[in-house]
This record gives sequence, structure tokens and C-alpha cells, in this order.
Amino acid sequence: MKIKAIVTVVSSIFATTLLAIDSPPVGSAAPDFSLTDAKGKTHVLSNYKGKYVVLEWFNPECPFVRKHYGSGNMQKLQQEYTGKGVVWLSIDSSAPGAEGNLTGEQAEKITTAWKTHQTAFLLDPEGKAGRAYGAKNTPHMFVINPEGKIVYEGAIDSKRSPNPADIPNSTNYVKVALDESMSGKPVTTANTQPYGCSVKYK
Amino acid sequence: MVLIIQVKAIRPSWLGIFLFAWTLLSGPAIEAQVYQGRELVKAELVANTSAVVAGKTFTAGLLLKIAPGWHTYWRFSGDAGLPIELKWKLPDGWKTGPLRWPIPLKFDDPGDIKTYGYHDEVLLLQDITPSSSIPPEKVTLAADANWLVCERICIPGSAALQLELPTGLESSPANKELFARYEKLLPQDQPSGNNVSLGWSRSGTDLHLKVTGQDFARHRQVDFYPLPDEKTIVGHPAVASHSGDEVDFRISLESAADNLKSLPGLLVFGEQADGSDRAAWNIGQASEVIAPAAGGLPAPAPTRGLLVYLVFGLIGGFILNLMPCVLPVISLKIFGFIKQAGQSREKILRSGLAFTAGIFAWFVGLALLLIGLKAAGHQITWAFQFTNPYFVLFLGVLVLVFALNLFGVFEISLPQGATRNLLGTADADGDVASFFQGVFATVLATPCTAPFLGTALGFAFTQSAAVILAMFVAIAAGMSLPYILLCAQPAWLRFLPRPGPWMLRVKQFMGFLLLATLVFLLYVLGAQRGLEALTWASSFLLAVSIACWMKGAFITPVASARAKGIAIGLILLLLAGSGLYFIGQKFRETQSGPLSAAKGDWGSFTPARLESELSQGHIVFLDFTAAWCITCKFNEASVLESPSVREAFQRHNVVKLRADWTNGDPEITKLLQHFGRPGVPLYVLYPGNRENPIVFPELLTRGILLDKLETISGRVASQ
Repeated sequence: MKIKAIVTVVSSIFATTLLAIDSPPVGSAAPDFSLTDAKGKTHVLSNYKGKYVVLEWFNPECPFVRKHYGSGNMQKLQQEYTGKGVVWLSIDSSAPGAEGNLTGEQAEKITTAWKTHQTAFLLDPEGKAGRAYGAKNTPHMFVINPEGKIVYEGAIDSKRSPNPADIPNSTNYVKVALDESMSGKPVTTANTQPYGCSVKYK
Repeated sequence: MVLIIQVKAIRPSWLGIFLFAWTLLSGPAIEAQVYQGRELVKAELVANTSAVVAGKTFTAGLLLKIAPGWHTYWRFSGDAGLPIELKWKLPDGWKTGPLRWPIPLKFDDPGDIKTYGYHDEVLLLQDITPSSSIPPEKVTLAADANWLVCERICIPGSAALQLELPTGLESSPANKELFARYEKLLPQDQPSGNNVSLGWSRSGTDLHLKVTGQDFARHRQVDFYPLPDEKTIVGHPAVASHSGDEVDFRISLESAADNLKSLPGLLVFGEQADGSDRAAWNIGQASEVIAPAAGGLPAPAPTRGLLVYLVFGLIGGFILNLMPCVLPVISLKIFGFIKQAGQSREKILRSGLAFTAGIFAWFVGLALLLIGLKAAGHQITWAFQFTNPYFVLFLGVLVLVFALNLFGVFEISLPQGATRNLLGTADADGDVASFFQGVFATVLATPCTAPFLGTALGFAFTQSAAVILAMFVAIAAGMSLPYILLCAQPAWLRFLPRPGPWMLRVKQFMGFLLLATLVFLLYVLGAQRGLEALTWASSFLLAVSIACWMKGAFITPVASARAKGIAIGLILLLLAGSGLYFIGQKFRETQSGPLSAAKGDWGSFTPARLESELSQGHIVFLDFTAAWCITCKFNEASVLESPSVREAFQRHNVVKLRADWTNGDPEITKLLQHFGRPGVPLYVLYPGNRENPIVFPELLTRGILLDKLETISGRVASQ
């Protein structure tokens, strides 16, 4: 009994330590994951090797997410780059019962109402993908190149505010990273401090 | 949006009525953020003064009252959130100080998300200095405030706020309780006289902050809240270890400049896990903490050519012969020369060259070792080997064995079976002995730095390997100079006394000089490791003495082979047994205790202590010393503790700090290197008022010190 208790304590300490990892560094291999989308279809990240992939952490309740969707900024970005063959995955890591947690049906409703253009809307209620990437904010953005390496991690743009009026005057880091990377150049700003709401993990 | 309008603390007068009416017309003093029918944040501007007086600084603040369960964010919000913003819109000519943030709480959310912020209520403070001409009767201060308030979800809030204050020629304090409460929650500067020191280091993507000192480490809850700049992305600072009087923080860096060596932030401490009794010290970039000690240093720029420094090395090496620690061995050599006086010129020359070779061997070996250490990234210093107690012990054994040899307890037999007297005789086969005498003299010379030597070595240690080697060769040449000259001109030996039976007595007397050296080495060991270590080391030395006696008594040319065999076995057993037990076990267990440099009216040096004394404008005298540094001890006894100097220090209110380098404390090494010095002694006088420090020569004299003290205090007084 006693031994079992010790093992439990030790392994839970280990578990929390393992969970307490920071985002994988830029330049390292993007951790693989398998998640179902709002329609019930399974997506495995490694199946997208050979293509650029954008990961976008999402929470419909978050004012910073609303800043970019309410202004149409995010939809525009999604449309432009999915049009160029980029795979855009929006991920919701909110735990059941927490703000922003969505069923497939609710997610469908929101994507329709907000006229979004992502490749797929992935549900991550267990926070598996979110924790693997150390995703801390909504929105928290990652750009993965065709070799499966992370080339950008951080904020969506340079103005850390919930105010849509700031968008025209800010540099969109995701756009710059995709443009540079797709034209064979190294990404100049590859890592920034993300901003937004915290991801509502369980 | 619901506006709650309220006018605070206005005396029932026509002015109050006027202000009330004006407020109704012009805008809110308090604004509330309401979300789904709930009031989340009430924002208000407050001031600590009843009235604005032209040119007189007062403190204003943004007071946020936050609904239970919700929180706003500190100036570094952490993994999520946004800092509160406050932008004043003040009349022309008014000035503001920096925004002052109370110590935040750290919030820990699922998914390892850590943020810094405030719940319930927070007051951000800012000093405001009105211009010299202000409107009559009243003034309106306006500010825009923005914040993000989060519970599970986050809601941005903003308010355009105004504060009405009467103007006048006099003012009295207002909102006393509120301001007092929040002043107490502000991070403080590290208090003066505080024993806490900080050490930063960087290994790859990790920064390490070592905080040493009871005043910090004794608290149950300790933390570091970082304040990274925009280019730096930090992970979560973690307490890597917390024991005794030391706390180690590890701060992972997700993205940072390669040359980033430290972070500003808050050192937070308290007893309660919920942070209800927390306090904090501001810490700047490491350079701000340590650099003032070195601020305005005379730059160790090589203003002189390499050749000049090599000449300095040569002179320094020569003077080493006269330094107190080398004298016993040097006298032995002179003794050897006396005995040689009647011998052939060739023999004298060979013996002298062998002695010189010994000197060169040690110095070149030391140079190569230092070059290797430097290449491996270590900080190199002169006499660093004396900071190692095992080296001191080894030297002690050597000194004792030679002393016993001089007393005639035993003869040293070298290989090939030839019996030679290593220290005294200089017969034709004595070249090996001469060589080791040279090595021995030089080993003993290292705890001293002589005049010129410090300057020369300080220069060489910053240069290439070739220069370091050249410098040590120059020093070796300087030290050998007298012997080379005597060998080259044996005729000069005429001036030395004739050999005779008196020489046996002199030889024995030299043994006592060596024992005096042993007393000194034991004192060093005691200072390094304490009384217990001293006892075990002495026990081992006793065993070594017995072994030497057995060698002299039983291993003689007339003894039988069997008796010799037994004696050798017993000697080896004695040495191995006592070595393993006294040194390998007992001595090793002793700890190098914290050296208290504070003795008498001397304070103990820490970078923080020095900085705090300097920031108060005090005159500070720094004594860099070590237990094994004889020059230091000599200077302390003859100059620093002399009545006239003590009196002068007292009269000029000089703060005396002592930096004890006996164990090679890296903080002290750093400061020594700031001054371009390879080791102790070093004497520095800070004249106060942030003037450039004055560095004194290694051989201190009362005259120089008193002279400088008079000059600087005259200057301070005339200011």
C-alpha cells in the first residue's frame, strides 16, 4: 500500500514536471499529434509533411481571438495562405466545462457564423496537443515547414492589445514568417512572446 | 456602461459645491467596467495631497477595485494577460516619475500557465511634479487607463478618468491610509548593511541566479519575478536549490540575446504560501549591482609596452627573494654558497645553475598550468594553489621533512643508493639537491606578490599564452639573478664568511626557521578549515615526523637487510595508515567554514555592502587579504592596525571593509580582476562621492595612506 502511494506521488510529480515543458524550440521537429476535427475526421500532423502548416490556438470567448476574427484579420490570413497550399489548423484546447470548450456541433456553428477559412478546426479537450506545444495563449501561433520543423512560434502580431484598431499598425509575424520561409529565406523574427488569454486547460 | 459619480474628501465649502457641479459636467472621477450586469473593475484616480502646490511633487495613483475571483496584471504579465496601462494627460510643463507597481501575486493555472497580477484591489503609484505656474483655485488631471481583467475568461477594460484638485500655496496629506498601505507593498531597494549578495551565470539557455545571505534565504517562500525586455522570452524561474544561506534560481530562456547574462526583476520573500506577508527587493541588471564597485575604475589598459611589463616582472622576481615567506629557503642557499666558497669554480657554477633551473622549472610549469586553465575557461590568479587546503598541507609536510633533515634526524637518500644531504651539502653530486632547493624556494614564494610583480602579472593574465609564459620566465630570471651573478663572479663569494663548525649550528637554526614557516602554514589551514582540520593535519604531521625518525634510526648503512625491510614496511604502514585516516577521512570531512572577515572594526566585504556604503557617499577602504598572504599580514600589522592609521580612519569616518580571499571566493576574484590584479594584497580607497578609487602599492606604508586620506577628506570638505 505504502509503496503504491509513494509510486503514485513520484509519478505524479514526474507527470507535472513533464507537463511543465516550455514550447519546443524554434528549429526543432514539430511534435506529432492526432486530433479529431469538428466534423469527426481524424487529422495526424505527420500526414501533412511536405506542406507548410499553421497551428492557431483558439478560444471563441477570448477578446484577443475576437480582436482578430471580429476585424476579419484572421479569416483573411487563413484564406490567403490556404489558397497557397498551406494547411491551417485551428485548435481548441479548452477543457470540458471551461470557457471556450466546444463540441463538434458548436464549433461548426462558430466557424460558419464567423466565416472562417481554416483547413480544419481541431478539438483538443484533453489538452494533449496544447501541452505538447506549450501553447499558453489564445491566439498562440506556430508555423511548421514542409520538413516538419517549427520555423515560427509566438504572437500573431506585434501589438499586444485586445483592440482591433491596432491591427493596421502592427506587423503580422505569421504572415512574415510564411512569406520568408516560402521564398526560401530564413525567418527573421522566429520567436516572440505570445499574447492573449491563457489556454483553459483542465 | 454605468457611471458612478462620486466626489471624495471635499470640505463643505463653496469650492466643494462648485467642484461637485463641475464633475457632473466634465466627467467621472470613478469609472466602472460592467460585464453581463456584473461590475468587474472600478477605476479611480487618487492623490496623496489635499491640494496642488506649484512645483511641489506629490503622488497620484490609479486605484482598481476588482471583483472577487478576477485579477488584473503586473508590468510583466507572465504567460498570458496584459499589463495595466496608465497614461496621464497633464498640462504643459508637468512631469511624471516612473509608474510604481506593488509586488504582484503569482497565479498558477492549469497547463503550467503562470501569470503575475493583482486581485481585489491595487493602487499603481506615480509621482507628479506640477509646473511652477499652475491655474488658480483648481486643476484637472486626466488619465487614460487600460487593463485586462480575467477570471476564467478575460475582459478588456478602459477608462478615461479625471481627478479634480484644488490649487494653493499649502497642502496637507490626503488618502493617508491608502497610500501608506500601498507604499508598504512596493518592492524596496536592497537595504544597506544587508549581507545578501547576488551571482549571475549563464549556461546555454539557462540563467542561474545565486542569492547568498541569511536575510533572504531564511524565508520559507522565496521567488524571483523576472522583468524581461521585449527581445527576451523567459520560461518560468524555478528555485533549483534552497538550503542554508543560499538560494539558487534557474531561469530558462526561450529566446534571448547571446550576451544576456542577467535579468532585472524582483526577489520576493515571505513566510506564507499565499503571499500575504510578501516583501521584495528590486534587482537591476547584474552590472548595476556589481559594477558600481568597479565603477570608474582606473582601466587596466596596457598603457605601457610589453617590454616594460617584462622588466617589471624581472624586478618583481628579484624582490621576491626578500619577501618574508621565501627568506628561510633563500638563507639556506646563501649558506650553501658559503660552504662552496673554497671549492672549484666549476662546481659552484653547476650548483648555481641547478638552483636556477629549479626556479625556472617551477615558474614555467606554473605558467603552463595557468595557460591550460585559462584555455579551459577558468579565471586565473596568482597563488591560486594556496586556496586549496591540500596544497597547503602538502607544503607543510615538505617543510617539516626538510626541517627534520636539517636537525639531523635523518639523511635523505636519493636513488642510486648515494646518500646526499638535500638541503645542506653541495658536493659534486648535489646538483639534484640544488635543483629541488630552487623549486622549493619558488613554491614558498608564491603566496607573496611583491611590488612590481602584481602590476606585471595583472597585465600578463589578460594577454596571450606566449605573453604569460614570457612573463613567468622574466620573473624566474629576476628571482635567479643574485645566484646567477654569484656563480658568474665567484670572487664575490670572498665577502661571505669562511666555513667552519659554526655551520652545523646555523644549519640547525635554519630548521627552526622552517618550523616557523610550518606554523604559518598551519595557521592558513586553520583559517581555511577550522580547529578540527588543524588537529587532524597536525596528527598527520606527527606521524610523518615519526616516520622520518624511524628512517634515520633504523635504515642505516650498518643495519641488516632484514631490519631495513621491516623498518621500510613499518614506515610505509605508518604513512599510509595515518594518511588514509587523518587526511583521507577526518580532514576531508571538515568543511571550509564561512570565513568571517569581520574582525574588530573591520566589516566583511560583499558587493552589496560596498555598493550600499558607496551609495550613501561614505569613504570606503578595502583590504584584500588572505590568511596565507604574508605580505598582507605584514601590511595589516605594520600599517593598517597601527595607532596613527587607525586614528586617521576613525577621524575621517572611513568604512573599513575586508575581503578575505583565503578560500578563493569568486566574488572577490572578480573585483581583483576589475582592478587588474592577479591576487592579494590589494588596497583600495574609495573617496566617496563616486570619485575614482585610489589603488595603493602592495607594500603599504603609513605615509602614503595618511597622505591620501588627508587629500581626499580635504577635497570632500571643500565641496
